[in-house]
Amino acid sequence: MYVGLGLSTEKDPVLAVKEAAKIAAINLHGAKVDLAIVFTSFNHAYPVLLKTLSILINRIPIIGSTGAAIMSNEGIFKNAVAVMFLGFPKGTYFNIACAKDIKEKTSLEAGRELGVKLMAGFQNTHRVFSVTFCDGLIEEGSGLISGLQERLGRSFPLIGASASDNLRFLKTYVYFNQEMLNDAIAGILFAGKVSFGLGLKHGWKPLGKPRTVTRAEGNVVYEINNQPAAKIYQEYLGRGFTELQKEIKRISVLYPLGMFLPGEQEYLLRNARLIGNDGSLHMQGNVEEGSTVRLMIGTKESCLAATHQALEEAKKNLVAQRRELLKEPDINFLLVFDSVSRYMLLKRDADRELEIIKSGLKKDTPILGLYTYGEQAPLLSINYQGQTHLHNQTVTMLAVSN
Amino acid sequence: MPPSNPDPLLNILSIALKLIYIAIVAGLSIALFLQAEKQKQKQAEIDKLKKAVEEMDEQAKLIMRTDMALNKTQEELDKKIAGLYALQKLSRSISTTLEERQILKRIRPEFLQELGFEKACALVWNQKEGKFSINLSIGYLEDEAYKIKAAVDAEKEKYLDLIFKEKTVSSISLSQDTGLTEEKINSIFKVNSFVISPISPKEGNKGLLVLGTEDVDVAITAGDEEIITILTNQIGQAIENARLFEKTWMAQQELENKVDERTRELTAVLNEVKLINKRKTDFISAVSHELRTPLTSIKGYAAILLAEKLGALPQPVKERLEKINSHSDELVHMVNGLLDIARIESGKAVMKIEEQDIKAIIANVMDLIFIQCKNKNIELTAQVSKEMPAILADKSQIERVFINLLGNAVKFTPQNGKITIRAEVKRDRTVEVSITDTGIGIPPDAIDKLFGEFYRVDNEINQQVKGTGLGLSLVKHIVEAHKGKIWVQSTPGQGTTFSFTLPIK
Repeated sequence: MYVGLGLSTEKDPVLAVKEAAKIAAINLHGAKVDLAIVFTSFNHAYPVLLKTLSILINRIPIIGSTGAAIMSNEGIFKNAVAVMFLGFPKGTYFNIACAKDIKEKTSLEAGRELGVKLMAGFQNTHRVFSVTFCDGLIEEGSGLISGLQERLGRSFPLIGASASDNLRFLKTYVYFNQEMLNDAIAGILFAGKVSFGLGLKHGWKPLGKPRTVTRAEGNVVYEINNQPAAKIYQEYLGRGFTELQKEIKRISVLYPLGMFLPGEQEYLLRNARLIGNDGSLHMQGNVEEGSTVRLMIGTKESCLAATHQALEEAKKNLVAQRRELLKEPDINFLLVFDSVSRYMLLKRDADRELEIIKSGLKKDTPILGLYTYGEQAPLLSINYQGQTHLHNQTVTMLAVSN
Repeated sequence: MPPSNPDPLLNILSIALKLIYIAIVAGLSIALFLQAEKQKQKQAEIDKLKKAVEEMDEQAKLIMRTDMALNKTQEELDKKIAGLYALQKLSRSISTTLEERQILKRIRPEFLQELGFEKACALVWNQKEGKFSINLSIGYLEDEAYKIKAAVDAEKEKYLDLIFKEKTVSSISLSQDTGLTEEKINSIFKVNSFVISPISPKEGNKGLLVLGTEDVDVAITAGDEEIITILTNQIGQAIENARLFEKTWMAQQELENKVDERTRELTAVLNEVKLINKRKTDFISAVSHELRTPLTSIKGYAAILLAEKLGALPQPVKERLEKINSHSDELVHMVNGLLDIARIESGKAVMKIEEQDIKAIIANVMDLIFIQCKNKNIELTAQVSKEMPAILADKSQIERVFINLLGNAVKFTPQNGKITIRAEVKRDRTVEVSITDTGIGIPPDAIDKLFGEFYRVDNEINQQVKGTGLGLSLVKHIVEAHKGKIWVQSTPGQGTTFSFTLPIK
C-alpha cells in the first residue's frame, strides 16, 4: 500500500489544500492515487477546497470530514488541512458511498442505505472493515450503526468518526467527493487483501454505586433509579440544578455516564449535552432503558495511559489478524479518531498523546487523526467478535496494513 | 360395670407419641430459632454491606467533589498560564512598534483565541469631536462595528465613566452603578461573556478595550480580568512611548531642518567669502605685478642717481635718494610677500614636494640665522631626534617658514635670550617642529589675529622695526599648502612657541 500524507496550516483553504496535496504527493513517491482522505478544521470547510483537490487528483474519490483539531506526525493543529493519498496494491478493493438527509429518513434508514450502497459489487468479495464519517450533530447516531449493521452484519467491524466543528456544536461537515455535506454519513468499505488492527480505550473508571436507568428513550434519559436523571449529577457533584444546567456540557466531559454492557471489557461512555427542565439528561448517543449506569472519573494521566493501551491493542489485533506472517506486519498508516472531550481534558498535554502514539510506532509511520464528537467501534475490538457501538470520550486507533 | 383397664401398650404408645411430638416441636423450634439466628446474621451482614456501599458511595461523592474542585483549580491555572503566554507574546509584539496606530493592530485573532476570546473591539474617545471611534475590530463585520459605535455613542456618558474610573469590569463584576447591564453589553457586542478594560495613557485620547466570546461554555474569571488589565496597561504605556517617540522625533526633525537651513546659509556665505577672497587675491596679484614694474624703474633710477653716474649729488639729496632706495626695497619685499600669498591661495604656486631631511634643513637655517643670534648673544640650540624620517616638503618654502619664524624669534628676544628648535615624530605620521624663544611674548588678545595679513602686534619693537605684517600669514599659507597645521602658544614676558606639522613619507 502506498501512503502519502501532507498537512498545511495556510489560512486560505485553496492554498492550504494545494500545499497539503503537494506534500502528500511528494511523500507518495510517484505512486498512483486511488483514494484521498481529507480532514480539515471548520475554518477551512469550503466547497472550493474539495473542488480544487478533485481537480488536482483527477477526480479520484475523496472522503473525510471537519474536526475541532487535526492530528498528524507534525503535531496537533486547530486550523489545518490534512490530505492522505492512498494507493492500493492488486487484490485490495474499496468502495465509497454516502447517505444524505438522515433526519428526514431516520438514522436507522440512512444507516441501511449506506450499508446497501457500500455492499454494491462486494457481495462475493471478502469484506474486511468499514470506516465511516457522519455529521457529528446527529442525535440518533446509534441508529446509523444499527442500520449499517443490519446490512453489513452484526459483528462486521465498523469504525467511524462523528465530525466536529470548532467546539461550538453548531455545524459539522462530511466530505464526499466534491460535496460538503451535513445531515449525512459517508463511508468506505475495504475488501480483499487488506488487514487492520483496532484499539479503543477511554481511560475513565467507574465510581459510586451502580444505578439503573428506569426510563429512557433514544438518547434522552428521563429517570435513573426512579428519580429525575440529572439528580445523579446533583448528588455526586453537590451542585444546584440551575448551575448544573449551565455547566453540564463541561462537567460531563470530566464525569461522563458509563454504561455497563454484559460481555464487554470497557464501560460505554456517554456525554450529557444538556439537562432538560424536567431533569432529563440529553446524551450524545443512545442509552438503553434498564441498563446499569455509573458516574465515571478520569484524569489526564489515565487518559494518556488509555492512548498507550489503545495503540498497543491496535498493534496486537493487527498481528492477530495476520497470524500467517512470521514477523510483525508493517503498519502502512494509522488513523486516530480522538474524542474532543479528551482534547478538552488534555488541553496542552494533547501533544503528549501524539508523542505516545509516535513512540509506539516505527519512525515515519503516517499518522492521521481527527478530533470527533463521537466514535464508532466495537468495544471488544478483536476482529469479528465485538459489536460496534457509538462511543463518547474514547480514542480509537485503526492500524492498516496490506 | 367395672371400669375397663386401659391397655398398657396403648399408654406407652401414647406417651411415646407425646414425647416424639415434644421432640419434634422442640427440634423444629430449635431449627426455627437457629434459622432465625442465621437470617439475623445474614441480615446484619447485608446491612453491613449496604452500609459499606452507602459509605463508599458517600466517599465517591466526596472524591468527585474534590476532583471537580481540583479540576476547576487546574483549569483556572491552565487558563492563567495560557493567558500569560499569550500576554507575553502580545506584549512583545506591542513593544516592538513605536507607531501609535499600529499598537492596537498588533492584537491579532490568534492572540485573542489564546486569551480565550474571539471578538475584540477598541473604542477610542475623541475629546475634540466628542464621540467614540473604533480603532480595532476583530470578529465583527463592518456594519456590525458601525452599529456597536452607534450604540456606544448613544450612551457615551456610561462608557466614559468606565474609562475615567480606570477599572476593568466583566460579565462577573459589572455593578449596577455603571448604569450598564450584562444583557445590554452582551447584546451590543454580540457576546455571551466579556471583559471591558480602560486604556488610559497619561496624555491624549483614552479608550476601552472590549474582549468577548460567544461561547456559552466559557466562564470569565477574576484571572481574566487581571490579565486583560495588564494588557490594557501595557497598551497605554506603549501609546505613551509612541507619543513620546513621535515628539522627540519631531523635535529632532525640526532641529535637523534648522541645521540644514543654517548649513545652507553658511555655505552660501562661505562661497561668497571664497569669491571675495579670490577677487582679493586676483586683485592683489594684479596690483602687485603692476607695482613691481614701476618699482623696478624707481629702484633702477635711484641706483643710477646714487652711483652719481649723472653727476655728483649734494649730501641731502643723497640721503633722500638712499631713503627712496630703502623704502623701495621694503615695498618690493612687501609686493613679493603679497604675490607669494596670492600665488599660494590661488593654487598658482607650484610646491615641489619631495622627500627632505628635516635635520639638514634645520642645520642650514641655523647657519643662516647664526650671525643675527650672535649679535644679540642669543643661544640658538636644536633638539632633534637622531632617527628622523624624511619629510615631504618643498625645501625652499619650508626654509622660508623657518627663516620667518626664527627671524621673528630673534627680533622679539632680548639680549642673552635663548631660542630652541625642536622636531619630533608624532603618531599621526607627521613631524612636529617647534621654535621656542624667551622673548617678550604675545598678548592673548593678539593670538587669534596673528596669522592675518598685515597684522602686526602692537609693541615697542614693532614700533621701532618696520615690517609688512605678511610674514606669519605667508608662513601659515605655506604650512597649510603642505597639509600641515600651525599654532602658537605664548606667555607675555616669558616667551613664545610657534609649532607646525609636516607630513612624513
